[in-house]
Amino acid sequence: MSEPSAPPISKRRSGQVMGGAFVSDPRCVVKGDKVIGVRCAHCRYPTSPPAPWCPACQHREQVEAEFGPGGTVWASTLVQIPVGRWAPPYAMAYIDLDDGPRVIAHLEAPAILAVGTRVNIVGGDDGDLIVRLA
Amino acid sequence: MSDRKEVVIRGVGSSHYGRFPDRRVESLAWEAILEAMQDAGAEAGEIEAVFVGSVFGPPGVATRTLRGIGIGGVPVITIEAACASGTAAYHEACEAVALGRYSCVLVFGIEHLSSLFTRGAIVPEATDSEGRAGLPLPGLYALQAQRYMAQFGTRPEAFAEVAVKNKGNGAHNPRAQLKGSAPTLDEVMSAKMIAEPLTFLQCCPVSDGSAAAVVGRPKGRRGEVRVLASAMASGQLWDHRSKEFWGEGPVRRAAQAAYAQSGIKPSEVDVLEVHDSFTIGEILTLEALDLCKVGEGASLAPSGHTQRGGQQPVNPSGGLLSRGHPLGATGTAQIAEIVWQLRGMAGAHQVPNAKLGLVETMGGGAAGMEGNASVVSLLALR
Ligand SMILES: [Zn+2]
Repeated sequence: MSEPSAPPISKRRSGQVMGGAFVSDPRCVVKGDKVIGVRCAHCRYPTSPPAPWCPACQHREQVEAEFGPGGTVWASTLVQIPVGRWAPPYAMAYIDLDDGPRVIAHLEAPAILAVGTRVNIVGGDDGDLIVRLA
Repeated sequence: MSDRKEVVIRGVGSSHYGRFPDRRVESLAWEAILEAMQDAGAEAGEIEAVFVGSVFGPPGVATRTLRGIGIGGVPVITIEAACASGTAAYHEACEAVALGRYSCVLVFGIEHLSSLFTRGAIVPEATDSEGRAGLPLPGLYALQAQRYMAQFGTRPEAFAEVAVKNKGNGAHNPRAQLKGSAPTLDEVMSAKMIAEPLTFLQCCPVSDGSAAAVVGRPKGRRGEVRVLASAMASGQLWDHRSKEFWGEGPVRRAAQAAYAQSGIKPSEVDVLEVHDSFTIGEILTLEALDLCKVGEGASLAPSGHTQRGGQQPVNPSGGLLSRGHPLGATGTAQIAEIVWQLRGMAGAHQVPNAKLGLVETMGGGAAGMEGNASVVSLLALR
């Protein structure tokens, strides 16, 4: 039996990045400079990651769709505490992708961007969506 | 509505709030329940059902708690609605009594976070897309604050003023985690930044604690508090189409239902305990409760309106910012505070002439939804 290392940060389901067990990834899938998802065949509601039916109108037929690379900052903040694999300072924002869903993203540069700023998807970093000033 | 029965809060109780890693979680609940039962003049045999609010349990905490006090054989229901778990349990108890299902229900909220989050802050939920991406809860609220500043030209000091007010109140609350601590505006503004614009002193402490209430049909005993209204609203989709701030919708819908049930106008409320897990939360909540127009909430603390001596004191107990936030216990702690205020028993943080009280709790933390649930309840001495 080996010596226990640093105490776990949490005893609950915190994911491997926090020293816990594997947790299936709930984040939207990033492919190149696009977010992959689905769009409702009836009301065009965009969803990522995909849902079992359209969350807005419950229509069952949804078609695969790509969103981005362009989007607009709903709001952004600079986080000054460590969270998971992220060390401070790091910036996060809600981005309304053009004709697409609102997604949470990391800003490439650790600085706050004004509401309404245009951004582009850079790509994914270990599954996290990264955007930068357009 | 006429066939609904009158519901009262017969008694309330609570533990102290703080970090008690060496205490059994049940012992905190026992403290709250025994005080509430004695306050209500209720015997264990009168309890027809038990409604419990808890987020992180542990699983079985309700039954383990009841073992110690010998209550059993009745329905025991544990409810999780994030930070609103305690008030959700309370709301369901009130509904059950109003509809005639039970005449006496024990409600308690219980949480023991110090044995779960060993380094302080709550670890974001790895099964949630935003939690997994590294967005901490203060980050979620900071995003609302940033949007708020952009929309209304609000300065960061306006958020800090909420912390000065609430922690100033909580300094006088002997059960609060941060009792005795009343920071100045400069101290709040210059505290360690957590997520801009929210500093450490604008974030509630992570706590252990429990609070309880005995809810039922009136017995005509002194100190019974009448439940004039209780309403719960869960979150709907929060997405690119949403015009409201995150979390605003459930509070607004629960408040409108509670005002409609009771015929009470927001301006008539004398004292409020609301969800101020982060300073911006109190501001958005007061707007959703219709105490003011959207965009004017940030002026309510600086203008004195929501100060302890103001026209509508908000969080005279110190709120979550001072009491601490034992998630599932917070809602029942707020209920207990308003009951004490209405009876004139709140001690050093008593508000003068509090006849009509309001409790609001908002629980959230599921990406893409406005929130998990909000409960709003209106209370008055019987
Ligand atoms: Zn649809």
